[in-house]
Amino acid sequence: MDSQPTFEDQLVTLLPRLRRFAFSLSRSPADADDLAQAAVERAIRSRDQWSPGTRLDSWMYRIMRNLWIDTARSRARKEKFEAPPDEANSVGTDGAVHASTELGQVMAAMQRLPEEQREVISLILIEGFGYREAAELLDLPIGTISSRLVRGRTALLGLVSER
Amino acid sequence: MSTDEKFFAWLDGELEGAEAAEMAARVESDPELSSLAGQHRALQATMKRAFDGVATAPLPEQLRKAVSSAPSNVVDFGEKRERRLRPRLFGGLPQWAMVAATLVLGIFVGTLVPGRDGSPVQIHDGRLYAASSLDHALTSELASAPAGGAIRIGLTFRDSGGAICRSFSGAATGLACRDDGHWRVRGLFPAGEGQQADYRMAAGMNPNLAALVGATMAGEPMDAAQERTARDRGWR
Repeated sequence: MDSQPTFEDQLVTLLPRLRRFAFSLSRSPADADDLAQAAVERAIRSRDQWSPGTRLDSWMYRIMRNLWIDTARSRARKEKFEAPPDEANSVGTDGAVHASTELGQVMAAMQRLPEEQREVISLILIEGFGYREAAELLDLPIGTISSRLVRGRTALLGLVSER
Repeated sequence: MSTDEKFFAWLDGELEGAEAAEMAARVESDPELSSLAGQHRALQATMKRAFDGVATAPLPEQLRKAVSSAPSNVVDFGEKRERRLRPRLFGGLPQWAMVAATLVLGIFVGTLVPGRDGSPVQIHDGRLYAASSLDHALTSELASAPAGGAIRIGLTFRDSGGAICRSFSGAATGLACRDDGHWRVRGLFPAGEGQQADYRMAAGMNPNLAALVGATMAGEPMDAAQERTARDRGWR
């Protein structure tokens, strides 16, 4: 009998990529790990909504992206009235992502992009999705993906080379 | 698609055929575009390198645990039912219970048969078979739809030889298995003997009967649908 990898097996295999995606969206390693944790927990709770045979990675990325949007929005409302948080320079959490200036710098640069550009940069330039895959994942027309990608990476080039 | 968009689509490998060739030629002949392509390739390499460090780092313990400790939905129903059932029925029941069950059967049957009208069992060729109300309950009742009679059906399952067996309790308590078109009684226990009423309620089944069921059952007990199908097929 053909034994297909279980949901859990596939999810475990995806964890490193999911965590990388969380880091590229988040402003700090701690936030990123919280996001990855929350996404995995939500996926496990709603595993019945995933149809076996379809791509688990796209489904998981979508869950994480939606969670991130929710969190970012509620934080934006809160922070209107609070001091801005520390920049993402303190890398090195219990997951042993050791302090890397480069990671701290690119995370900080990504934080200066608007959310809608950041997610497109993350999916295409870092996670390696094609334009069409990213469009499906984000439920956007491919032209919107393409134009956000141009604006995002052009801004990012200035931000990263400034340093 | 704007020129910028086309340039980046080409850089990302999203253009094909003539379009790709055309853009490649343009970039090659335009030093400014060539330089821009180089800068963006370097930018992407920097980003990839930085974030790939995350993907190759050991995962936080908590994150791995979130997956490994997840309750699994893919356990098949039968296995779940069996797990639920076994500890209750057979957990900690000693081997001697089986032996006792056999002894009790011998003594008890002596008081019950033969020749009493309405007896739930009858002896035929030295073998004990269900009769009257017991035979009727075993043949027609479903555990999933109790008729409220004096005999209640408990579990329905197959033994290692493939014969269907059913446990029963109430006016008579025991186990009978299908044998050549009849219910041959494999065990019969005086109801309530050796157990307190509250224990009986908690355990759900006479412990002697539970031991006999445990020793007889091959595989899992039938669910309601399987029980009904088995009845409709004449318990074959």
